[in-house]
Amino acid sequence: MLLTSVIIIFREVLEAGLVFCILLAMSRFLGLSTRWFLLALVLGGIGSAVYGNNLAAISNAFDGAGQELLNAGLHFWIYFLLVMATTLMVINYYRPGYRLSLLKWLMLLAVTCSVLREGAEIYIYLYTFHSQPELFGSVVKGALIGAGIGFSIGALLYYLLLGLPKRYILPVTCILLTIVAGGMCSQAAQLLIQVDWLPAQAPLWDSSGLLPEHSLVGQLLFALVSYEASPTPIEVFLYTTSMAVMALILGVTHYVFRTSSHVPAIAH
Amino acid sequence: MRDSRWTRARNALLVLPAIVFCFGAGRPEVTLEIRDHLFIPSELVVPANTKVKLIVHNRDKTPEEFESYELNREKVIMGGQKAIIFIGPLKPGEYPFFGEFNPKTAQGKVIAE
Repeated sequence: MLLTSVIIIFREVLEAGLVFCILLAMSRFLGLSTRWFLLALVLGGIGSAVYGNNLAAISNAFDGAGQELLNAGLHFWIYFLLVMATTLMVINYYRPGYRLSLLKWLMLLAVTCSVLREGAEIYIYLYTFHSQPELFGSVVKGALIGAGIGFSIGALLYYLLLGLPKRYILPVTCILLTIVAGGMCSQAAQLLIQVDWLPAQAPLWDSSGLLPEHSLVGQLLFALVSYEASPTPIEVFLYTTSMAVMALILGVTHYVFRTSSHVPAIAH
Repeated sequence: MRDSRWTRARNALLVLPAIVFCFGAGRPEVTLEIRDHLFIPSELVVPANTKVKLIVHNRDKTPEEFESYELNREKVIMGGQKAIIFIGPLKPGEYPFFGEFNPKTAQGKVIAE
Protein backbone atom coordinates (compact mmCIF):
# COMPACT_ATOMS: atom_id res chain seq x y z
CA MET A 1 0.00 0.00 0.00
CA LEU A 2 2.91 2.30 0.78
CA LEU A 3 4.15 2.56 -2.82
CA THR A 4 0.64 2.85 -4.25
CA SER A 5 -0.17 5.79 -2.03
CA VAL A 6 3.18 7.45 -2.79
CA ILE A 7 2.42 7.27 -6.52
CA ILE A 8 -1.22 8.37 -6.29
CA ILE A 9 -0.58 11.36 -4.04
CA PHE A 10 2.56 12.34 -5.96
CA ARG A 11 0.64 12.45 -9.23
CA GLU A 12 -2.22 14.51 -7.88
CA VAL A 13 -0.01 16.94 -5.97
CA LEU A 14 2.24 17.43 -8.97
CA GLU A 15 -0.65 18.19 -11.30
CA ALA A 16 -2.20 20.81 -9.05
CA GLY A 17 1.21 21.93 -7.75
CA LEU A 18 2.45 23.09 -11.14
CA VAL A 19 -0.37 25.59 -11.50
CA PHE A 20 0.13 27.02 -8.07
CA CYS A 21 3.89 27.21 -8.00
CA ILE A 22 3.90 29.11 -11.31
CA LEU A 23 1.19 31.50 -10.09
CA LEU A 24 2.91 31.91 -6.76
CA ALA A 25 6.19 32.76 -8.48
CA MET A 26 4.35 35.31 -10.61
CA SER A 27 2.71 36.77 -7.53
CA ARG A 28 6.10 37.24 -5.89
CA PHE A 29 7.53 38.69 -9.09
CA LEU A 30 4.75 41.30 -9.24
CA GLY A 31 5.28 42.08 -5.56
CA LEU A 32 1.82 40.91 -4.50
CA SER A 33 1.11 39.54 -1.07
CA THR A 34 0.67 35.79 -1.18
CA ARG A 35 -2.17 35.60 1.32
CA TRP A 36 -4.56 34.72 -1.56
CA PHE A 37 -2.61 31.52 -1.94
CA LEU A 38 -3.25 30.26 1.59
CA LEU A 39 -6.93 31.12 1.24
CA ALA A 40 -7.03 29.20 -2.06
CA LEU A 41 -5.48 26.12 -0.42
CA VAL A 42 -8.03 26.22 2.40
CA LEU A 43 -10.98 26.76 0.01
CA GLY A 44 -9.69 24.03 -2.30
CA GLY A 45 -9.32 21.66 0.64
CA ILE A 46 -12.88 22.29 1.83
CA GLY A 47 -14.13 21.95 -1.76
CA SER A 48 -12.30 18.63 -2.14
CA ALA A 49 -14.05 17.20 0.91
CA VAL A 50 -17.46 18.42 -0.29
CA TYR A 51 -16.81 17.02 -3.78
CA GLY A 52 -15.51 13.72 -2.37
CA ASN A 53 -18.49 13.29 -0.05
CA ASN A 54 -20.94 13.87 -2.90
CA LEU A 55 -19.13 12.01 -5.65
CA ALA A 56 -21.69 9.19 -5.87
CA ALA A 57 -24.50 11.67 -6.50
CA ILE A 58 -22.35 13.73 -8.88
CA SER A 59 -21.39 10.60 -10.85
CA ASN A 60 -24.99 9.52 -11.24
CA ALA A 61 -26.10 12.89 -12.59
CA PHE A 62 -26.53 13.28 -16.37
CA ASP A 63 -27.01 9.54 -16.96
CA GLY A 64 -23.73 8.68 -15.29
CA ALA A 65 -21.73 11.41 -17.00
CA GLY A 66 -21.77 13.82 -14.05
CA GLN A 67 -18.24 13.21 -12.83
CA GLU A 68 -16.70 13.72 -16.27
CA LEU A 69 -18.87 16.76 -17.05
CA LEU A 70 -17.97 18.45 -13.77
CA ASN A 71 -14.26 17.71 -14.21
CA ALA A 72 -14.29 18.80 -17.84
CA GLY A 73 -16.09 21.98 -16.77
CA LEU A 74 -13.46 22.60 -14.09
CA HIS A 75 -10.70 22.14 -16.69
CA PHE A 76 -12.25 24.59 -19.14
CA TRP A 77 -12.89 27.04 -16.28
CA ILE A 78 -9.24 26.83 -15.15
CA TYR A 79 -8.19 27.44 -18.78
CA PHE A 80 -10.33 30.58 -18.83
CA LEU A 81 -8.95 31.79 -15.47
CA LEU A 82 -5.36 31.20 -16.61
CA VAL A 83 -5.95 33.13 -19.85
CA MET A 84 -7.40 36.06 -17.89
CA ALA A 85 -4.68 35.96 -15.22
CA THR A 86 -1.76 35.82 -17.68
CA THR A 87 -3.28 38.64 -19.72
CA LEU A 88 -3.44 40.80 -16.58
CA MET A 89 0.14 39.85 -15.75
CA VAL A 90 1.28 41.08 -19.17
CA ILE A 91 -0.68 44.33 -18.72
CA ASN A 92 0.87 44.76 -15.28
CA TYR A 93 4.31 44.54 -16.74
CA TYR A 94 3.63 47.77 -18.64
CA ARG A 95 1.16 49.37 -16.23
CA PRO A 96 2.16 48.35 -12.73
CA GLY A 97 -0.76 48.16 -10.34
CA TYR A 98 -3.41 47.58 -13.03
CA ARG A 99 -6.37 45.70 -11.52
CA LEU A 100 -4.23 43.80 -9.07
CA SER A 101 -7.13 42.73 -6.90
CA LEU A 102 -8.84 41.15 -9.94
CA LEU A 103 -5.58 39.35 -10.74
CA LYS A 104 -5.40 38.04 -7.18
CA TRP A 105 -8.97 36.77 -7.39
CA LEU A 106 -8.29 35.05 -10.71
CA MET A 107 -5.20 33.33 -9.28
CA LEU A 108 -7.10 32.40 -6.13
CA LEU A 109 -9.89 30.81 -8.16
CA ALA A 110 -7.46 28.98 -10.46
CA VAL A 111 -5.59 27.48 -7.51
CA THR A 112 -8.82 26.66 -5.65
CA CYS A 113 -10.21 24.83 -8.68
CA SER A 114 -6.92 22.95 -9.28
CA VAL A 115 -6.78 21.85 -5.64
CA LEU A 116 -10.47 20.89 -5.77
CA ARG A 117 -9.98 18.79 -8.90
CA GLU A 118 -6.97 16.82 -7.67
CA GLY A 119 -7.69 17.04 -3.96
CA ALA A 120 -11.06 15.28 -4.22
CA GLU A 121 -9.31 12.17 -5.45
CA ILE A 122 -6.79 12.30 -2.60
CA TYR A 123 -9.62 12.83 -0.13
CA ILE A 124 -11.58 9.81 -1.44
CA TYR A 125 -8.46 7.66 -1.45
CA LEU A 126 -7.45 8.54 2.12
CA TYR A 127 -11.04 8.28 3.35
CA THR A 128 -11.24 4.74 1.92
CA PHE A 129 -8.48 3.57 4.22
CA HIS A 130 -9.69 5.54 7.19
CA SER A 131 -11.78 2.55 8.28
CA GLN A 132 -8.91 0.09 7.85
CA PRO A 133 -6.52 0.92 10.68
CA GLU A 134 -4.08 -1.85 9.73
CA LEU A 135 -3.46 -0.19 6.34
CA PHE A 136 -4.12 3.44 7.23
CA GLY A 137 -0.67 3.95 8.77
CA SER A 138 1.26 2.94 5.68
CA VAL A 139 -1.18 4.81 3.42
CA VAL A 140 -0.63 8.02 5.35
CA LYS A 141 3.13 7.51 5.32
CA GLY A 142 3.02 6.93 1.58
CA ALA A 143 0.80 9.96 1.10
CA LEU A 144 3.22 12.18 3.02
CA ILE A 145 6.19 10.92 0.98
CA GLY A 146 4.25 11.38 -2.27
CA ALA A 147 3.13 14.87 -1.28
CA GLY A 148 6.68 15.67 -0.20
CA ILE A 149 8.14 14.69 -3.57
CA GLY A 150 5.37 16.55 -5.43
CA PHE A 151 5.84 19.73 -3.39
CA SER A 152 9.63 19.50 -3.77
CA ILE A 153 9.35 19.50 -7.55
CA GLY A 154 6.92 22.43 -7.28
CA ALA A 155 9.33 24.31 -5.01
CA LEU A 156 12.18 23.61 -7.41
CA LEU A 157 10.21 25.08 -10.31
CA TYR A 158 9.21 28.07 -8.13
CA TYR A 159 12.81 28.92 -7.28
CA LEU A 160 13.98 28.22 -10.84
CA LEU A 161 11.39 30.71 -12.12
CA LEU A 162 12.28 33.38 -9.58
CA GLY A 163 15.98 32.76 -10.19
CA LEU A 164 15.68 33.59 -13.87
CA PRO A 165 17.00 36.92 -15.16
CA LYS A 166 14.16 39.41 -14.60
CA ARG A 167 13.29 40.01 -18.24
CA TYR A 168 12.74 36.28 -18.82
CA ILE A 169 10.40 35.65 -15.89
CA LEU A 170 7.24 36.99 -17.52
CA PRO A 171 7.72 35.31 -20.94
CA VAL A 172 8.71 31.96 -19.38
CA THR A 173 5.73 32.08 -17.00
CA CYS A 174 3.38 32.91 -19.87
CA ILE A 175 4.75 30.04 -21.97
CA LEU A 176 4.47 27.55 -19.08
CA LEU A 177 0.93 28.65 -18.20
CA THR A 178 -0.09 28.48 -21.88
CA ILE A 179 1.13 24.87 -22.04
CA VAL A 180 -0.57 23.97 -18.75
CA ALA A 181 -3.79 25.68 -19.88
CA GLY A 182 -3.73 23.85 -23.22
CA GLY A 183 -3.37 20.60 -21.29
CA MET A 184 -6.52 21.47 -19.33
CA CYS A 185 -8.48 21.61 -22.58
CA SER A 186 -7.09 18.35 -23.95
CA GLN A 187 -7.91 16.60 -20.65
CA ALA A 188 -11.42 18.02 -20.79
CA ALA A 189 -11.75 16.65 -24.33
CA GLN A 190 -10.69 13.21 -23.15
CA LEU A 191 -13.29 13.26 -20.38
CA LEU A 192 -16.01 14.25 -22.83
CA ILE A 193 -14.98 11.41 -25.16
CA GLN A 194 -15.12 9.02 -22.19
CA VAL A 195 -18.84 9.80 -21.69
CA ASP A 196 -19.65 9.93 -25.40
CA TRP A 197 -20.31 13.67 -25.48
CA LEU A 198 -17.55 14.01 -28.07
CA PRO A 199 -17.15 11.43 -30.83
CA ALA A 200 -14.70 8.58 -30.29
CA GLN A 201 -11.83 8.37 -32.72
CA ALA A 202 -8.85 6.17 -33.39
CA PRO A 203 -5.64 7.63 -31.90
CA LEU A 204 -3.64 9.92 -34.15
CA TRP A 205 -0.39 8.25 -33.08
CA ASP A 206 0.95 5.91 -30.43
CA SER A 207 4.21 6.79 -28.74
CA SER A 208 3.77 4.43 -25.78
CA GLY A 209 6.66 2.32 -27.12
CA LEU A 210 9.00 5.33 -27.04
CA LEU A 211 7.75 6.90 -23.83
CA PRO A 212 5.17 5.05 -21.74
CA GLU A 213 2.72 7.25 -19.84
CA HIS A 214 3.26 5.37 -16.59
CA SER A 215 7.05 5.94 -16.59
CA LEU A 216 8.38 8.69 -14.32
CA VAL A 217 9.22 10.93 -17.29
CA GLY A 218 5.78 10.17 -18.73
CA GLN A 219 4.12 11.21 -15.46
CA LEU A 220 6.15 14.42 -15.27
CA LEU A 221 5.32 15.24 -18.87
CA PHE A 222 1.67 14.46 -18.18
CA ALA A 223 1.63 16.93 -15.31
CA LEU A 224 3.42 19.64 -17.29
CA VAL A 225 2.22 19.23 -20.88
CA SER A 226 -0.61 16.65 -20.46
CA TYR A 227 1.48 14.08 -22.31
CA GLU A 228 -0.66 11.38 -23.81
CA ALA A 229 0.89 8.44 -25.66
CA SER A 230 -2.09 7.84 -27.95
CA PRO A 231 -4.17 11.01 -28.32
CA THR A 232 -7.17 11.27 -30.61
CA PRO A 233 -7.44 14.00 -33.28
CA ILE A 234 -10.01 15.95 -31.21
CA GLU A 235 -7.70 16.08 -28.20
CA VAL A 236 -4.77 17.26 -30.34
CA PHE A 237 -7.00 19.82 -32.04
CA LEU A 238 -8.33 21.26 -28.76
CA TYR A 239 -4.85 21.22 -27.22
CA THR A 240 -3.22 23.14 -30.06
CA THR A 241 -6.17 25.49 -30.67
CA SER A 242 -6.53 26.45 -27.02
CA MET A 243 -2.80 27.17 -26.78
CA ALA A 244 -2.89 29.15 -30.03
CA VAL A 245 -5.85 31.24 -28.81
CA MET A 246 -4.12 31.98 -25.50
CA ALA A 247 -0.83 32.83 -27.24
CA LEU A 248 -2.69 35.14 -29.62
CA ILE A 249 -4.48 36.95 -26.75
CA LEU A 250 -1.20 37.37 -24.87
CA GLY A 251 0.60 38.48 -28.03
CA VAL A 252 -2.02 41.11 -28.87
CA THR A 253 -2.12 42.37 -25.26
CA HIS A 254 1.65 42.64 -25.21
CA TYR A 255 1.65 44.52 -28.51
CA VAL A 256 -1.12 46.94 -27.53
CA PHE A 257 0.26 47.77 -24.08
CA ARG A 258 3.85 48.01 -25.20
CA THR A 259 2.81 50.51 -27.88
CA SER A 260 0.52 52.49 -25.61
CA SER A 261 3.03 52.62 -22.79
CA HIS A 262 5.12 55.04 -24.86
CA VAL A 263 2.21 57.47 -24.90
CA PRO A 264 2.05 59.65 -21.78
CA ALA A 265 -0.81 58.44 -19.64
CA ILE A 266 -2.79 61.67 -19.57
CA ALA A 267 -6.00 60.01 -18.50
CA HIS A 268 -4.41 58.62 -15.35
CA MET B 1 -9.58 -19.96 -1.92
CA ARG B 2 -12.71 -18.45 -0.55
CA ASP B 3 -14.49 -18.74 -3.89
CA SER B 4 -17.55 -20.81 -3.24
CA ARG B 5 -19.18 -22.88 -5.94
CA TRP B 6 -21.93 -20.29 -5.98
CA THR B 7 -19.47 -17.47 -6.64
CA ARG B 8 -17.83 -19.41 -9.44
CA ALA B 9 -21.17 -20.17 -11.03
CA ARG B 10 -22.11 -16.51 -10.77
CA ASN B 11 -18.81 -15.45 -12.30
CA ALA B 12 -19.35 -17.84 -15.18
CA LEU B 13 -22.76 -16.32 -15.68
CA LEU B 14 -21.20 -12.89 -15.72
CA VAL B 15 -18.59 -13.85 -18.28
CA LEU B 16 -21.08 -15.46 -20.67
CA PRO B 17 -23.18 -12.39 -21.40
CA ALA B 18 -20.16 -10.13 -21.19
CA ILE B 19 -20.91 -8.90 -24.67
CA VAL B 20 -24.48 -7.90 -25.12
CA PHE B 21 -25.26 -6.04 -28.30
CA CYS B 22 -27.39 -3.09 -27.44
CA PHE B 23 -29.39 -2.37 -30.57
CA GLY B 24 -30.93 0.79 -29.16
CA ALA B 25 -27.64 2.63 -28.88
CA GLY B 26 -26.14 0.73 -31.81
CA ARG B 27 -23.04 -0.23 -29.88
CA PRO B 28 -22.01 -3.24 -27.84
CA GLU B 29 -22.18 -3.20 -24.05
CA VAL B 30 -19.77 -4.99 -21.79
CA THR B 31 -20.22 -5.46 -18.06
CA LEU B 32 -17.47 -5.65 -15.47
CA GLU B 33 -17.60 -6.09 -11.70
CA ILE B 34 -15.28 -5.04 -8.93
CA ARG B 35 -15.45 -7.44 -6.00
CA ASP B 36 -12.93 -7.89 -3.18
CA HIS B 37 -10.59 -5.50 -5.07
CA LEU B 38 -10.63 -7.80 -8.12
CA PHE B 39 -12.01 -7.22 -11.60
CA ILE B 40 -14.46 -9.92 -12.61
CA PRO B 41 -14.02 -11.05 -15.31
CA SER B 42 -10.40 -10.03 -15.60
CA GLU B 43 -10.47 -10.39 -19.38
CA LEU B 44 -13.07 -8.68 -21.54
CA VAL B 45 -13.37 -9.54 -25.19
CA VAL B 46 -14.74 -6.70 -27.30
CA PRO B 47 -15.10 -6.22 -31.04
CA ALA B 48 -12.24 -4.30 -32.65
CA ASN B 49 -12.74 -0.93 -34.37
CA THR B 50 -16.04 -0.32 -32.57
CA LYS B 51 -16.99 1.98 -29.74
CA VAL B 52 -18.01 -0.11 -26.73
CA LYS B 53 -20.03 0.89 -23.65
CA LEU B 54 -18.33 -0.51 -20.59
CA ILE B 55 -20.47 -0.73 -17.45
CA VAL B 56 -18.50 -1.21 -14.24
CA HIS B 57 -20.31 -2.24 -11.05
CA ASN B 58 -18.32 -1.66 -7.89
CA ARG B 59 -19.66 -4.28 -5.46
CA ASP B 60 -17.09 -3.37 -2.80
CA LYS B 61 -17.86 -0.91 -0.02
CA THR B 62 -14.74 1.08 -0.85
CA PRO B 63 -14.15 3.33 -3.87
CA GLU B 64 -11.97 2.23 -6.75
CA GLU B 65 -10.48 4.08 -9.68
CA PHE B 66 -10.74 2.37 -13.04
CA GLU B 67 -7.59 3.38 -14.86
CA SER B 68 -5.96 2.45 -18.13
CA TYR B 69 -3.12 4.22 -19.88
CA GLU B 70 -3.68 2.11 -23.00
CA LEU B 71 -7.38 2.94 -23.17
CA ASN B 72 -6.84 6.56 -22.00
CA ARG B 73 -9.50 6.17 -19.36
CA GLU B 74 -9.70 7.15 -15.69
CA LYS B 75 -12.76 7.18 -13.46
CA VAL B 76 -13.40 6.99 -9.73
CA ILE B 77 -16.25 4.62 -8.85
CA MET B 78 -17.62 4.91 -5.33
CA GLY B 79 -18.47 1.80 -3.32
CA GLY B 80 -21.76 0.17 -4.36
CA GLN B 81 -22.03 2.38 -7.46
CA LYS B 82 -21.86 1.72 -11.18
CA ALA B 83 -20.01 3.67 -13.82
CA ILE B 84 -20.35 3.94 -17.56
CA ILE B 85 -17.18 4.35 -19.57
CA PHE B 86 -17.08 4.44 -23.35
CA ILE B 87 -13.99 2.83 -24.84
CA GLY B 88 -12.59 2.41 -28.32
CA PRO B 89 -12.69 2.14 -31.26
CA LEU B 90 -9.72 -0.15 -30.61
CA LYS B 91 -7.32 -1.81 -32.99
CA PRO B 92 -7.06 -5.57 -32.40
CA GLY B 93 -4.86 -6.16 -29.38
CA GLU B 94 -4.71 -6.19 -25.60
CA TYR B 95 -5.37 -3.17 -23.42
CA PRO B 96 -4.57 -3.60 -19.72
CA PHE B 97 -6.53 -1.75 -17.05
CA PHE B 98 -6.17 -1.63 -13.27
CA GLY B 99 -7.76 -0.32 -10.14
CA GLU B 100 -5.58 2.58 -9.07
CA PHE B 101 -6.49 2.25 -5.39
CA ASN B 102 -5.63 -1.48 -5.31
CA PRO B 103 -3.25 -1.95 -8.21
CA LYS B 104 -1.72 -5.19 -6.92
CA THR B 105 -4.95 -7.16 -7.07
CA ALA B 106 -7.27 -5.21 -9.34
CA GLN B 107 -5.86 -6.02 -12.76
CA GLY B 108 -7.54 -6.85 -16.02
CA LYS B 109 -7.40 -6.39 -19.75
CA VAL B 110 -9.64 -5.63 -22.67
CA ILE B 111 -9.00 -7.85 -25.67
CA ALA B 112 -10.15 -6.31 -28.94
CA GLU B 113 -10.56 -8.78 -31.79
